[in-house]
Amino acid sequence: MTALNLPPAVLPFCRAGLLLAALSLAGCGLGSRLPTVTYIAAGANTDQRLDAEMREDYRQHLGLLQDAFRQLYPGTTFQLGLYPEDQIIPAIVRRSNAGLDPDLLYINGDTALQLLQAGLVAPFPTDPGLEKLFHPETLARLRNADGQLAGLPVLVQTQISCFDRRQLPEAPRTLEELLRISAAGKAIGLTVDPVNLLWTAGSLGTLPALQRTLRGQPLSPADRQAIQRWLSWLQAANVQQRITFFASQPEADAEFLAGGVAWIPCRSTALPMLRRRLGARLGVAPLPDGPDHPASAVNRLRVMALGRHSSEAGRQRAIAFSRFNVNPLAQRTLTMGSQTVLPANRFVSVPVQSSQVLETLNTAAAQGLEANQLVASMHSTDPRMPELKALITRVVFNETSAAAGSDRLVQILRRTR
Amino acid sequence: MKELLLEVLGWLGYLERFPVLLQLLISLALLTLSRLARQRRWLGRLPSLAYPGVGLSLLALSCLLLWAMGQPHGLALLLGELWLGWFGLSLLHRLLVGRLPTTTLHQLESRLLRPGYLLMATLVLISELDNLHDVAVIPLGTLFGITLSIEKAFLALLVFYLVLVGCGPPAAGLAWLLQRAVGMSDGSRKATELMLRYIVVGLGLVGVAAHLGVNTTALIAVAGGLSVGLGFGVKEVFSNFVSGLWLLFEGSVRPGEVLMIDGDPCEVRRLGLRATLLWRDRDNAELLIPNQTFFTEATTTYTASDRLRRSQVNVGAAYRHEPARVIELLETTARTVPHVLSEPAPKALLLSYGDYAINYGLRFWITNPMNNVSICSAVNQAIWQAFQQQGIEIPFPQQVEYQMVGPPQTQQPNLGPH
Repeated sequence: MTALNLPPAVLPFCRAGLLLAALSLAGCGLGSRLPTVTYIAAGANTDQRLDAEMREDYRQHLGLLQDAFRQLYPGTTFQLGLYPEDQIIPAIVRRSNAGLDPDLLYINGDTALQLLQAGLVAPFPTDPGLEKLFHPETLARLRNADGQLAGLPVLVQTQISCFDRRQLPEAPRTLEELLRISAAGKAIGLTVDPVNLLWTAGSLGTLPALQRTLRGQPLSPADRQAIQRWLSWLQAANVQQRITFFASQPEADAEFLAGGVAWIPCRSTALPMLRRRLGARLGVAPLPDGPDHPASAVNRLRVMALGRHSSEAGRQRAIAFSRFNVNPLAQRTLTMGSQTVLPANRFVSVPVQSSQVLETLNTAAAQGLEANQLVASMHSTDPRMPELKALITRVVFNETSAAAGSDRLVQILRRTR
Repeated sequence: MKELLLEVLGWLGYLERFPVLLQLLISLALLTLSRLARQRRWLGRLPSLAYPGVGLSLLALSCLLLWAMGQPHGLALLLGELWLGWFGLSLLHRLLVGRLPTTTLHQLESRLLRPGYLLMATLVLISELDNLHDVAVIPLGTLFGITLSIEKAFLALLVFYLVLVGCGPPAAGLAWLLQRAVGMSDGSRKATELMLRYIVVGLGLVGVAAHLGVNTTALIAVAGGLSVGLGFGVKEVFSNFVSGLWLLFEGSVRPGEVLMIDGDPCEVRRLGLRATLLWRDRDNAELLIPNQTFFTEATTTYTASDRLRRSQVNVGAAYRHEPARVIELLETTARTVPHVLSEPAPKALLLSYGDYAINYGLRFWITNPMNNVSICSAVNQAIWQAFQQQGIEIPFPQQVEYQMVGPPQTQQPNLGPH
């Protein structure tokens, strides 16, 4: 083979030309030969630590759907990026500016709506046939003022209670029972995080008062009393020797795994990790109700939202994958395979008879219906959340009285962002 | 590892997007054109530093245009910022030239600033494509029973590298303090500095192992396995390392020592982990000799107990001169040459009767063995001058020739004038 002898003056031009040609080819010709990648960014619960275990859980969870999808669309690969839910918006802003935003976002419904309102996700194409699969109020929570849909609902993650069967044969069904078993020497763990603690407000009948506060409606003396009752209960709970308030959910989880506490509220997404560590010792149950009211579990509706800068083929793949995920078979696979989530498709029945876990999740979903509106109007990334957490901490540790605490709580909730 | 490779390869899929490709093309084209323009002086008298500035300005304009058209421009902007940072490093280089010694500046740039910048740029680019924290938890595999994630491996390597590169100045400072406190020699100070560095690097290694979560049982098992490996695979490397440590403790090969290598005096510049760096004055060559050589072979040194060297020059004088006079003249001459020590005194000796001259040797002492050749030259010149002044001849080679005639009985010695 003879070498091509080019004059030295021409060489730099040739190199530059080759580089540009290579890049152009990469985009045009090679593009069709590159693996067809669908980029998915998933928002992880902020109260769970993002580690290799969680990454694996998400991969397995989405893998159930991806494997089935590849039977229809062979050659499609998925690349998953996990972000804590409270960090996903700034990340998407940055990536969207560069044209490198994901094709699909697997996030909470309220986050999707925020992103749509900020113009960071594309509205999901209207399809009346598809929309029939969901409760109209579920979709209403995902629409912006123009009626555009922020994302397609895929499943529901719930808040439940986890207990160690070695220490507790049965989980408490009411708040009274919870206090009784703690008085009997069983350690109970709670967190001062407002989202994780909201279920107690439901059990104590405070939820309507909180909703009225948030909406800016006038509060009756009964409402104020209800708020005070909730804070007093938290204060009284902390006085109990065997009830511990942890600063965060990961701390509570760690203590639970170490056997330091026998019962904690937990998220259904943490179940795979807890199952791996505790095995048959792990028991799950709905959160304890109050004397007259059910617990208000904070459940999360997970949706698939579309990124703005997908290629034409990428957008088609993303829509196809989203639609595939809500078909009854995929929903059933997801529910039965993971045993951590519930289907968003209202026509898919949950086989509660066959699994105690699914029965628990189903109960939790019903418990959370009342809190849905409140959670939707104040999501986990709300700037008022740190203030609420600080207030609850002060009240729980008796630095602020329940009466003063309730006044301050009303002030914080009434303040617009 | 497979997961990481798939992750990295998966990022190529972004090239499917036209806005991404456009930003890459604009950035790389401007970068290439700016380099070409600087090399070929397209902008005439403009200083070379101005070319990247022009390229960056054009890139900023392109970003502005993309923004005005509602197109993504963040990637081009980011690449521009990274280019600007790299350009900033070259400006910093110009600022530091003259303020820092060349070697120090080179080390600072090649070992810290530029690798650090490239690392930062890589991390920034990855965070544009994915969540850095998420990528960091990707498991690479299992090592000594612990699962090694990218984050752990990266931090371990980074800390170890920083310890390796950054422990020099503190070790030098501590060694200097010890020298002041104890009154040790410069060679001992350098040896102490090196030993302190080894200790810090060793502690760094242990710290990194602890960070990775390696337990002591695993370490002992590794050490056991390693000893077998050392016996076969990396015997030479380990042998050189241990030899280096031994030589340091023994003090026979320290920086500043003068050793004879193949007949030439060489000064030890640095005792490394594997090899010793020596400087040869004769041709300004630097020799890298494995430490093991000094450990196993005999070496001549002029600096073990003192730095004196006894040197010698040879000279011939004609037979007609009185040897005692020549000897006295040689000794007197040597005393006048700078750098020749008066005590021990120079000593001239009649070495032999040669074919055409009486051979003398002049022995004298000098303080710096590395200056031997230049001082010998000065002594030889002084002898020539002194002999010239005293009328002492340094004879040329002389030979008596006989003409052979036959038959042998008729042969007579050729006694005629030559």
